[in-house]
Amino acid sequence: MSAILTREELATALGRAGQGDRAAFRSVYDATSAKLLGVTLRILADRQLAEDVLQDTYLTVWKKAASFDASRASPITWLVTIARNRAIDRLRSGGAMRQSTPIDETVNVIADDAPSPAQALETGDDVRRLNECIGQLDDRTGGAIRTAFIEGVTYDALAVRENVPLGTMKSWIRRGLMRLRACLES
Amino acid sequence: MTKPTDIDGVDNDQVLAGELALRVLSPAEEASARAREAQEPVFAAHVEAWNERLAGLAEGISPVEPSPWVWPRVEAGLTAPAAANDNNVVFWRRWAIGSTGLLAASLAAVVVLLAQSVSAPVAPSAPMAVTRVATLTLESGAAAMTIAYDPGTGELYLAPTEAMAGDVRVPHLWLVMPEGGVQLVGAIDGSHTSRHSLPQSLSGLAGQAQAVAVSMEAPGHTPAPNKPDGPVVASGELQRL
Repeated sequence: MSAILTREELATALGRAGQGDRAAFRSVYDATSAKLLGVTLRILADRQLAEDVLQDTYLTVWKKAASFDASRASPITWLVTIARNRAIDRLRSGGAMRQSTPIDETVNVIADDAPSPAQALETGDDVRRLNECIGQLDDRTGGAIRTAFIEGVTYDALAVRENVPLGTMKSWIRRGLMRLRACLES
Repeated sequence: MTKPTDIDGVDNDQVLAGELALRVLSPAEEASARAREAQEPVFAAHVEAWNERLAGLAEGISPVEPSPWVWPRVEAGLTAPAAANDNNVVFWRRWAIGSTGLLAASLAAVVVLLAQSVSAPVAPSAPMAVTRVATLTLESGAAAMTIAYDPGTGELYLAPTEAMAGDVRVPHLWLVMPEGGVQLVGAIDGSHTSRHSLPQSLSGLAGQAQAVAVSMEAPGHTPAPNKPDGPVVASGELQRL
């Protein structure tokens, strides 16, 4: 039941929220909370923790909305970054018992590759371009970057998962990031 | 402008900013990169650009409708945003102004300063009801200090090792915040254990902080509350007990 807002509408609503407009803030929440819960749940794999972090996230958004600058960041990127960072902080603070809920069991939150129309918060072109550029990396590098982003894991954890030395994982990702940047800016 | 590049011609600052945005760094590396983000606008802009580049990866994540109780809890927590921020600013400023004169006098005075500017000190003893701890390590890997923090009471307990003793510079404790940026807690005693009671404005931030870091500042110098001037020599992730 998320209301669909365009990027401009969302940016405007965030700006109003920054001036203390609670109704505008509520519209930001309605339009984005399902997306952000998807993000925190993939990282924490525990619904209650993920909803706690979601609550923290929106309190932070309320406090920081005045500093949102639509000329420098897309509103959904700004929101996703806050939610993701909060969830990763919670994960790493030891409050999350990730292993208690294996990610494979959270079937209903596993992403499809094809975004549904209801998710169309981000401009499609940017995402398509990002996917093209990641597709140009070798599979393990692209996969490692995706996993790092979506699950919020460190180099150490990625190296263990892929069963490669830490230095190898670092060099995959570092090179991958540079290629990604070059591709996105070409 | 010259950029630091390695033998492969890789722009190391760009890579580090990407690693920070992706959150793949170890806690110590991350704390040091966050300090740079707070200090260097160019580096901070790199991190922001990486956030923007990578955020599209979230597109593949299916949305999940939150439970109905989440919004009422968010709404209950809404306060006037400006007022909340002002309190923090006032606190940081007061601490910063207060510390300058005393620090110039002597390092020993730091303990007195912390006691006076915050509240009555509690005699150092075993920490009680501790819920978050951090061991700060130097770049060499040696332990520099152990910190215990109880978000419930705002009690902060600091136990430096000998690694911090004997430096003429004054150690300053920083909170590394989740959204990036650092917050000054204040000058600390690098040679003796100490115990402090944080005021509410600061204890909330300390409860949210993801890591702590120590910078070494010139005697008599107080850095801005959001930006160390001296080198960050030690850092550690805050762990829940």
